[in-house]
Amino acid sequence: MRSSRRDFLARSAQLGVALGAGVPLLQSCADNGKKSVNNKTIADGLEPEKGPLRIVNYDSYVNPDVLADFEAKYGVKTELTTIFSDTEVVTKIASGAIKVDVQHSMANTSIGNMIAGGLLQPLNKSYIPNFANVISNFNDPFYDPGAKYSVPYTFFGTGIGYRTDRIDPADVEAQGWDTIWNATDFAGEVSVLDDEREALVMAMMRRGLFDVNTVDPEVINQALADITELIDLVSVKVNIEAYKDIPEGTTSIAQTWSADLIASAAGYLPEGVSNDVLGFWHPPAGEYVVTNDSMGVLADAEHPVLAHLYLNYLLDNDVSEKNFTWVGYLPALSKLDADYLINAGYVPEHLRNCVPTQEEIDNGLVFKQLDVDGEALYEEAWSKFNAGG
Amino acid sequence: MTAVVDLPVAERRPRNRSSAIWAAFAVPGVGWLIAFFVVSVYAVTAVAFGAVDPLLKTAQPQWNPFAWDFDAMSRIVDRVLHGDLGQVFARTGAYIALALGGCILIGYPVAYFAARVVKRRRGLLMAALVLPFWISYLMRMLAWTNLLQPDGYVNKVLRFLHLMDEPRNWLNGDSYTVVIGLIYGYVPFFILPLFASLERLDGRLIEAGRDLGASAFQTFRRVTLPLSVPGLMAASVITILPMAGDYYTNTYLTSGSPKTTMVGNQIEFFLQRSSQPQSGASLVLLLMACLFVLMMYYLVITIRQQRAAER
Repeated sequence: MRSSRRDFLARSAQLGVALGAGVPLLQSCADNGKKSVNNKTIADGLEPEKGPLRIVNYDSYVNPDVLADFEAKYGVKTELTTIFSDTEVVTKIASGAIKVDVQHSMANTSIGNMIAGGLLQPLNKSYIPNFANVISNFNDPFYDPGAKYSVPYTFFGTGIGYRTDRIDPADVEAQGWDTIWNATDFAGEVSVLDDEREALVMAMMRRGLFDVNTVDPEVINQALADITELIDLVSVKVNIEAYKDIPEGTTSIAQTWSADLIASAAGYLPEGVSNDVLGFWHPPAGEYVVTNDSMGVLADAEHPVLAHLYLNYLLDNDVSEKNFTWVGYLPALSKLDADYLINAGYVPEHLRNCVPTQEEIDNGLVFKQLDVDGEALYEEAWSKFNAGG
Repeated sequence: MTAVVDLPVAERRPRNRSSAIWAAFAVPGVGWLIAFFVVSVYAVTAVAFGAVDPLLKTAQPQWNPFAWDFDAMSRIVDRVLHGDLGQVFARTGAYIALALGGCILIGYPVAYFAARVVKRRRGLLMAALVLPFWISYLMRMLAWTNLLQPDGYVNKVLRFLHLMDEPRNWLNGDSYTVVIGLIYGYVPFFILPLFASLERLDGRLIEAGRDLGASAFQTFRRVTLPLSVPGLMAASVITILPMAGDYYTNTYLTSGSPKTTMVGNQIEFFLQRSSQPQSGASLVLLLMACLFVLMMYYLVITIRQQRAAER
């Protein structure tokens, strides 16, 4: 009986191996799609493809009505794939795990590598006349000289969102980043951004260090020690949920993006709660991190013309305004400045500082992409912080 | 075997053919195991001991074992043995142990009741137990965040019953909250295999225990409980394995508090959101090694019990 069972298993295993299941899998895993910079631009005046237009983006980061309008205008379907992080989307595009036409929200820290890795195609601006609407700072951004491969989608600054009914705005103004370390009365209601560069750099800026792209291990380790203090001091939470947690009241003080407060005021306050309870502080120009997300067309897009038309559509002033009313993140268009958005009733006057001024954009600190070793320093520190210090 | 050899050739053939057919039945399973276990584990190993594309940060698996780079693994092992990751493993183990305890306390009586006490409408009861599966796990966790908020129903009920003066912030990186979430999420996985095991339990043995003068409690302790150990073991294995890799229960219930980070969170960070997939894959292998020890224990116990039953 024992020998027959062994025979049975051996024969089955031989048959399984004969299926050759392992070989193609290993080969496909080994294919990392080595590419080089893509210089091929699509020709002028091409007819758009029939679609569907495949887009990858964060969840809730484009107005579904805007997508529906685009579908109606061009008679095509759109397919949206959602992702959680910038690293995730770059990895998945590079490995071929997702195949899309448009990357809707690229971080400044990855565009350079995506270009160098041949993942993006140079844009043919003849399809994107609305690029003229863009704030002039983004005509020649540091991450993509000449904006050859990308157009800006949204922009925002990093500061502190808080509840004005729980903490005096004058106190936040006086304490700056220390507000977060001093919030011991609000233990469990304090959060920092779930982003290693944002959170660690905040700790550096608190100590007066403004080289936001440093790879000095000592500075990073000190920043790690500082944010680790927050675990015991204020039972810090780590997420990007402040846009809803502050208006709902579960978070009182949060390191967050300026646009989150605009989104909070627009759609997340419980019934009967005034938007006066929302406050935002940010450091002065020159010490203020102002960053943006960008859109691009992938090198192997199956519908590149349609993808160009989509980028153009999103840069239309009216479309962008409609998108903003739902997303809450500021479009990088010169017409939609603070005055316009406040007069139109989209941004409360007391949250005017959520819209970075020209001076703040001009002098904004920016996160640049680091090499693998530099990133590893931040990631290692972030892993240690999240482990509990 | 000798009996088979002695049979005339004509009678042997059909038996051989049928054994080949039976062997063919195992092909899909073996193929599945090779494709999705052996190859997958080797792929994870190749990533753990491989490199990373310096530009796009994608993993570059090293399929040749002679060229493996052990740097990432040794860094991770060092952090597990001497640093912060050790407490993450310990915390994960403690959460699993507590949640398993909760599953036993809640699941055993329910499974016993369904298997041994209920005579009619047993199907209805089982359907009710499976009912939570109809709702996505994430939805159920999100529902808990509403219940556990400072002004949520949990605090309201506790204050109404005078069990608490001030509302407690359950979502404040509280370990109990994570354990409650794990119990809630996994208790149906625990009950079902236990129910199947208890239902097959030979009732005559329990009757014999009572006939021989044992009290109800003594019968339970000396007959029912030992006989339900295989079921308990199977149910424990089925719940421990997914709990060990869980990373969303604590993420949702504590808003990403570093106080409740589990191994799964670190794996998710390194594999999904970092430029160090080798570290994530190394953690996967270490976690697998820990679970492998548990599985070996389970197999040894099961084999021992099988032998004892055959004797």
